[in-house]
Amino acid sequence: MTAFLLKRFMQSLVLLVIVSIIGFIVLNLIPGGPMAQYGLDPGMTQQDIARLEEQLGLNRPLWVQYFDWAWRLLQGDWGTSFRDGNPVLTVIGRHIFATLLLMGSSTVIAVAIGTWIGIRGATHRYSAFDYVATVGAMIALSIPTFWFGLIGIYVFALELGWLPAGNMYTIGDGSILNYLHHLIMPSVVLALVHIAIWSRFMRSSTLDAMNQEFVKTARAKGVSERRVIMKHVVGNALLPMITLAGVQLPSILTGALVTETVFTWPGMGRLFLDSLGYSDYPVVMGLLMFSAILTIAGNLIADIVVALVDPRIRLA
Amino acid sequence: MTEHDKGNSNYSRRDALRMMAIGGVAGLIAPNLLGKPAFAQTPPANPTGRIVVGLSQEPTSFNPLMVHNEVDEGVYFSIFDALFRIDPQGVIQPNLAVEVPSQENGGISQDGLAWRIRLRDDVRWHDGEPFTAEDVKYTLELIVNPDFRAWRTLGHALLRDITVVSPTEITWRMEEPFAPYMSFLTETFMVPKHILEKEADPNEAAFNQAPIGTGAFKWGQRIAGDHIELVANPDYFGDGPYIEQLVFKYIPDRTVLYTQFQSGDIDLVGLAYIAPDKYAEASALPDRTVELIPAPQFEFILLNMERPQFKELAVREALYAAMDRKMIIDAIYYGVAGLTETFMPQQSFYYNPDLPVQEFNLDRARKLLDDAGWVPGADGIRAKDGVRLAFANTTTAGDHLREQLQQFLQQTFAEIGVEMTISNLPPAVLWGDFWTYSRFDSAIAGTTYLVASDPDVTLRFHSKAIPSQTGGRGSNNSQYSNPEIDALLEEGARTFDPEKRREIYFKVQEIIRRDLPLLPLYARTLVYGRKAGIEGFVANTNTRTESWHAAGWYWA
Amino acid sequence: MTALAAHLERSHWWQSRVVRRFLNHRLALPGLVMISLLTIACVVGPYLLPFDSLYIDLRARFSPPLTGQHFLGTDPLGRDIAARLLMAGRTSLLVGFFAMVLSVLVGTIVGVVAGYRGGWINAVLMRTVDGFLSFPSIFLLLALAAALKPSPAFITVIIAVTSWMEVARIVEAEVRSLREREFVLAGRMLGLRGAHIMFREILPNAVGPIIVAATLTVARAILMEAYISFLGYGIQPPLPSWGNMLNGAQQYLASAPWLAIIPGVAITIAVTSFNFIGDGLRDALDVRDDHV
Repeated sequence: MTAFLLKRFMQSLVLLVIVSIIGFIVLNLIPGGPMAQYGLDPGMTQQDIARLEEQLGLNRPLWVQYFDWAWRLLQGDWGTSFRDGNPVLTVIGRHIFATLLLMGSSTVIAVAIGTWIGIRGATHRYSAFDYVATVGAMIALSIPTFWFGLIGIYVFALELGWLPAGNMYTIGDGSILNYLHHLIMPSVVLALVHIAIWSRFMRSSTLDAMNQEFVKTARAKGVSERRVIMKHVVGNALLPMITLAGVQLPSILTGALVTETVFTWPGMGRLFLDSLGYSDYPVVMGLLMFSAILTIAGNLIADIVVALVDPRIRLA
Repeated sequence: MTEHDKGNSNYSRRDALRMMAIGGVAGLIAPNLLGKPAFAQTPPANPTGRIVVGLSQEPTSFNPLMVHNEVDEGVYFSIFDALFRIDPQGVIQPNLAVEVPSQENGGISQDGLAWRIRLRDDVRWHDGEPFTAEDVKYTLELIVNPDFRAWRTLGHALLRDITVVSPTEITWRMEEPFAPYMSFLTETFMVPKHILEKEADPNEAAFNQAPIGTGAFKWGQRIAGDHIELVANPDYFGDGPYIEQLVFKYIPDRTVLYTQFQSGDIDLVGLAYIAPDKYAEASALPDRTVELIPAPQFEFILLNMERPQFKELAVREALYAAMDRKMIIDAIYYGVAGLTETFMPQQSFYYNPDLPVQEFNLDRARKLLDDAGWVPGADGIRAKDGVRLAFANTTTAGDHLREQLQQFLQQTFAEIGVEMTISNLPPAVLWGDFWTYSRFDSAIAGTTYLVASDPDVTLRFHSKAIPSQTGGRGSNNSQYSNPEIDALLEEGARTFDPEKRREIYFKVQEIIRRDLPLLPLYARTLVYGRKAGIEGFVANTNTRTESWHAAGWYWA
Repeated sequence: MTALAAHLERSHWWQSRVVRRFLNHRLALPGLVMISLLTIACVVGPYLLPFDSLYIDLRARFSPPLTGQHFLGTDPLGRDIAARLLMAGRTSLLVGFFAMVLSVLVGTIVGVVAGYRGGWINAVLMRTVDGFLSFPSIFLLLALAAALKPSPAFITVIIAVTSWMEVARIVEAEVRSLREREFVLAGRMLGLRGAHIMFREILPNAVGPIIVAATLTVARAILMEAYISFLGYGIQPPLPSWGNMLNGAQQYLASAPWLAIIPGVAITIAVTSFNFIGDGLRDALDVRDDHV
């Protein structure tokens, strides 16, 4: 186990280096750069812009900039945002809460509904419910999230006026109810895809569990069907789902990006798009590394859990 | 800002400029800054209530001397003060200074080189320290400090021998006479020496995240990505503030910004304002004041004059004649825009109203091209000497109104045998080297050509201001070059008398209108909106923000 | 010879087990029918409609659907939405299709080489795949769209750059499991070249999973195109695509909701169809559904 973890850890480090290099190159491939936003400022000349680029070290060769960035990162310095002069970690930290709130509530919705649909689909296989759930999941996976958000805004905010069109809360009203009111639409929109994925996987892992020997034994012993499902099947079906959860960990950043944009939610996804738009390299790089670390951690957790749960898989 | 002559209503901009020119008394006898009618409600005795300003971009830079965007300036005007300020009529008024120096009152020497500024003695920083000439000297020197990430250095770089004569008097010498500098000082906010001089690196100072100024509001707190809260400064030296809290709320989408104005979540719509297509709807909202404010920005197609297609005046004239600007304004911009023939804002003292008016006339456009020898080829596109009359047009990707405009023009240009292709880029790419070094054929941009409302446009039209040509210092991105213009611009920058400058810039506008290095589309009109209960709000398009004087706002 | 072809050769193709199972699948057939109808409409439709998708008539702007002569209404420039929708379908479907072809090509080559060669070649290739997968794909999409000229060809390439990894992973796993099988060992003993074994002997046996992944990639590519064009970084006007028809629709959501609704429905139908077909193929070709 230790050897396995060590090997995976080393591989992860290499992966991080690859990700940072690709990210850095792609980012610098974009013409324009951080100073382009001042290109239209009536009193700024390209001399001012050249001066600022020199002060920020942006005129150095790319590899020098990369090693400078990487060296600082190794010392725990993630850099400073070009836009507001704050340390990158502070900037990211300020946006984590909003994203976690949104992801958290949408995950609760997705897991609750997805588990129910999945189990019911598996126990009532080939029923009308199962068929509708299958088709529904497919359609849910096919709807563009940004479009679904727009339609939601049109119906519930503009036409019916039931829900706010965006934002996390109303200024001056910090009550939980106010947050909840703002949370409903974005978390449901975000949950839609996850309900689909979660219910599909829950269905197949429930089916797997139902064919296990101990379930058949329990049934043979005369345990009621309901009890069999609740006690034996669901518990076993949920285990593999941890893998799915692990693999979905990185979507904390990207999963909410589109939804955050449509609903003007002040989370990390929007920070990412804003920072990309302003070519705020340090923040974009910080978020990329953050996302890569989450991906790696998610895969690692998934692998370990699978190994622990299924002794047939040897870790080596 | 003085109170004692509220009744002076027959005031005109020209009178004021005259007054300013003859002895710097403008600050004493000009009407109060807001032009408030005498019957206006009286503001509360103590600051009460909160006003939430919605912005579609996020203010992120709080040191007013550092590089920033226009959205940050609402915060600066509320927290800081400059030596002077420019009022809605375009007149420069004293702010931290007690008078506006001029050649007549001796504040500026006859050769324009020696400047003397006298300061108020009753101003304190938010931390209670007195504001003195030392702060002014520190500020002006910090801007040109080579290690400091300063915003514009234009003009400031000309200052020499900055001398503190007394706590309320400062003098300096200019390397060369530069009349626009007076306007620049209306956007140069003073920062506290006693705080910043202790910092090892002013770029990284704690001050930059929690600024201390002399203005009507003090820094409260910032919830990044969401809003900024300022609180009333009870010791403010001027009138106001009348509200307890001023909040700048960031709402990254203009439609949502409008929806929140509609629902009442925000009290006043700030930068980016209400979209033109929402104007009619907004005007009908109950308990809201919605008004059209002519902006200093104008939209134009900038032509790259070094492209062979655009070298000939006939082509530029033909393209201009083929633009159905009335239709564009009425249909695409819902009538919320003004026709213009020049880069100079209509509300400016220097606006030339007598320029020839463009007329949409496809026959004339065709004839111009025919006469100039541009003959349609097999594909219907005109050509001359092997040059096809085809070009790309670029603007910011995702700006759907401009994209509609482009497609409309594409269709009309095709009718006169001109092929225009659309090739849009994200703003962070477009306004970089692509723009600066003139790598476009033609581009649609919207901006003001004036720096701090001064009519000097040397940066835009002087032949030595072309960045893509060696030694060019400026932003003459169309690569326009005309010795006549060069001479006029040089003279204008040396001339302090408003009337004389006016003649010069009238001539400049005439020549630019004739040569057409840019094709004006329309003068931007902003749709301001606020709750009807807000009093004391006055628009001032000589600044770049609606929040240039939040000190005067109050709830009825 | 592909595995599919091998299946088909046994008898008439319509009698093959794969085809039968595909046709019996409850979703696959509707999916196939929908996408065929949509494709035919996009190819033929524009010739039948009386309006040009590019013709601007500002006097006719914002006609709602089912009123007047415009069946689906008009857009902010007075262009006929029905005509634009069908022209846009050509763009979107073509971009989706070619993005799929490119990513399957790249993914298959990487997967086969990595799986067959093993060792450090596998390590390098598969870590690169992991590297690409750890990027938010929207980052690569937007960054590359900003860096390159946004022509339809480049948009296709950019989408392919962000979608080849899945195929590479599937193929690699498949090839790794096939590598030690008898027919491969036999081929090696006969002294066949590596490339021959990889692409002529092993690959045909991995064709099932590739076809399934390809179908799902088309669906994904259409969604990607829609999103980046919606943001204004993708297909440039006046060439319509389903995505850029939605660009600006948010602005008119209250006054002209059909601008947002119509293209979105088209996207959903197309993507759903491909997902249905993918699901049907997965069952018909007996592809295990165990990769997350």
